[in-house]
Amino acid sequence: MTAMQSHGVSLPLRGSLSSRSLPRRYFSVSSLSWTKFLTGARNLPYPVAASSAFTLSDGELESRGFRVRRSPEGLDVGALNDVFARVGFPRRDPDRIRRALEHAGGAVVWVEDGKGGSEEGKPVAFARATGDGVFNAVVWDVVVEPSLQGIGLGKAVMERLVADLRAKGVSNIALYAEPRVVGFYRPLGFAADPDGIKGMVYSRRNQQQRKSR
Amino acid sequence: MHLGASVASSASSLCRTHHLACRFQDPDRSWIYRHSELIPGKRRGKVVPLRANFWESIKSGFGKNDNTTQVVEPPTSIEEEETLPLEIVLLERTRPDGTFEQIIFSSAGDVDVYDVQALCDKDNWIFQVGWPRRPLGKIAASLKNSYLVATLHSICRPSGSEVNDKKQLIGMARATSDHAFNATIWDVLVDPSYQGQGLGKALVEQLIRTLLKRDIGNISLFADNKVVDFYQNLGFEADPEGIKGMFWYPRY
Repeated sequence: MTAMQSHGVSLPLRGSLSSRSLPRRYFSVSSLSWTKFLTGARNLPYPVAASSAFTLSDGELESRGFRVRRSPEGLDVGALNDVFARVGFPRRDPDRIRRALEHAGGAVVWVEDGKGGSEEGKPVAFARATGDGVFNAVVWDVVVEPSLQGIGLGKAVMERLVADLRAKGVSNIALYAEPRVVGFYRPLGFAADPDGIKGMVYSRRNQQQRKSR
Repeated sequence: MHLGASVASSASSLCRTHHLACRFQDPDRSWIYRHSELIPGKRRGKVVPLRANFWESIKSGFGKNDNTTQVVEPPTSIEEEETLPLEIVLLERTRPDGTFEQIIFSSAGDVDVYDVQALCDKDNWIFQVGWPRRPLGKIAASLKNSYLVATLHSICRPSGSEVNDKKQLIGMARATSDHAFNATIWDVLVDPSYQGQGLGKALVEQLIRTLLKRDIGNISLFADNKVVDFYQNLGFEADPEGIKGMFWYPRY
């Protein structure tokens, strides 16, 4: 089953949608430094990626019991799969996930439950990006553990992922957002269909329909 | 242009295609970047003609300029082969001036970075968003880091001569991927003098086939408004289930 997923709600393109409990709505923590960039955003220079530009700093997250990790090292893939399942994604072959993480070109950010011990390696928030490391990147699999949504963890991983990509010089960062989470990405600096550009996905079913005509 | 006209000679033209392909030499290059490794310019892989029903879908694009275009038809289905050939002859034709030309699709990523830059610089029909002039080193890096680099080359042999085949990059498309789930197509380019012949369509079709063969389930791209229809005709859907493509601080 093919699923389009940048964000933590899976949307299979083929087959019927199975009923599932949806994750809690995101409440974006409004931050003055970010909304300042939104007004006439297209014409202003984009924010410089400095750690002081993050809504919640690494230290603030640590004090709340969360540790930010900027590489897939130490990530428990089984636990990641569990989070996927809890947000409504299909579970995926762990070997494939490992392969995807290896080929992320270093663009993986996740938040670890800071308790340590048995919680080591368990992600409570995650995001990764694919790309050529120079021009383009696409963000995939942005998830936050449902019971921990709404406190800024999704924003934390996204801000850092974008910063890491920008630091490499990648200027074209894209993602696919389900309608209900477009609002989550906007305060982070993302705009939908800029200048009429459309995100498109290949569908084998469309292909077959075409040929039978 | 009729496929039927070439049926009678398909057997001999098939043989001729293979025979000719072996004799083509790559021109001397100072720097050819082979996807994921540096190699001296060398053609590799079987050159195999295309499935007949693939031609049905793009037939209308061919044969506009001359009536001596010959379509090479394969006797068997490619699907039955175990490995997808790296190179495919898309078409062969004899031009009005007697030059014999072949258009070759390749997924080997055998591409000269200078050629890519030259192709980018041409005032071509850009299937892809955002096109500032790109430094050579970055182009090379972007190709190296791409999961798949597909090319269209034209190989011309002037009539009556056996040497100096001219090989020219006339199209390119690449895809980035996580090697497991998703691939995104970028930078679909076709030389302006080769547009309007269905080659862009062929390029993307072959790219998709290659990705599907490699078991990459989710193929995506971002299309400029003007080319949304082009990709729709290839099987892409815009805003599937309302999902929106979003960009970080786009400068458009």
